[in-house]
Amino acid sequence: MPDRHPTGEPTGDQTGDQTGGAGDAGPNEGRRGGAPGHLPELDPVIHAQARLRVVTSLYALPEGDSISFPWLKSLLGMTAGNLSVHLGKLADAAYVEIVKGHKGRTPITYIALTRRGRLAFEDYKAAIRSLLDAAETGQTS
Amino acid sequence: MGEDELAAEDERPLSPAEALKLIEDQQSVAVKRMVADPLLFYGPWGLAWLVGFGAIFLQSGLNGESYVPLSKGVALAIFGSCLLLAMVTTAYHAWRSTPDVRGISRERGTMYGLAWFIGLVAMGAIGGRFSSLLSAPETGLLWSSLSVLVVAIMYLTGAAIWREWSMFFLGMWLALINMIGVAAGPGWHPLLIAVAGGGGFLVTGAVLRRRWGRADA
Repeated sequence: MPDRHPTGEPTGDQTGDQTGGAGDAGPNEGRRGGAPGHLPELDPVIHAQARLRVVTSLYALPEGDSISFPWLKSLLGMTAGNLSVHLGKLADAAYVEIVKGHKGRTPITYIALTRRGRLAFEDYKAAIRSLLDAAETGQTS
Repeated sequence: MGEDELAAEDERPLSPAEALKLIEDQQSVAVKRMVADPLLFYGPWGLAWLVGFGAIFLQSGLNGESYVPLSKGVALAIFGSCLLLAMVTTAYHAWRSTPDVRGISRERGTMYGLAWFIGLVAMGAIGGRFSSLLSAPETGLLWSSLSVLVVAIMYLTGAAIWREWSMFFLGMWLALINMIGVAAGPGWHPLLIAVAGGGGFLVTGAVLRRRWGRADA
């Protein structure tokens, strides 16, 4: 019958120590596969206020859907010219697909996030989170 | 401010914390604009069933004795107006809130809408054939149980399309109380559908709305 540990600490915890101790890396570092000191770089195509809002909005659509230009414009509260500029930059990176269609007889443009764009946004979010985690652990240690 | 200045402001570098906040805020705005408040769809139907089937129950009574001084025609008119009102309200909300989207969602929506139509037309054909052969109370029971069956199946189907378990439970619940109501007879069925069916819609709407309110989570 094993006695209770005098200090009240749980016994049989040896397995938890195997990863610790080596070096001075904090517990959170390396969790996302990045070694300490190698902070992820943020995708410059997405990392700008307006384009981040565009991509976030398009990401809210189910995959396989595209949204009309006027609707996206009103959702974002951007001018047509401004939105076009940013969509152009996103299209250059193949993050969005712009398709000209018709609604009745009026031509209308539909915009969708491409698979590549979805993945880029997911990577971007992961990068932001690991930057924030790194900043947090940097402050507390 | 000119376009160039606006564009320059848009290019201002963001801190990671600002970026995360911006993503969360924009996501919440987008979801709220793209998906309407679910209570606006479930609420009107819940009230319509509560009042509509309630009127039929009060008029027909549990044992065939009416609890209210209403003719059968008036009770049916109340029932019909309630359903029509619910249909108009929900159609208006759907029209107002649906974003201009092309693609998979639109195809799903079109097929699902057609399925409702086909189901109700088929129900009319079957009910019309048999209702002339039954007594008046049984005819009423045939029509209401057939329509609740169609609604239950359509909710189960919709749940499968949009992977929405709350909707699935509502469909299951409606199918269950419909079976119990049919077994219990023409007096009980409208009471059960009014209270448990209408209530089921309201509860589902409230549950979905709570989750919709936390859409940014």
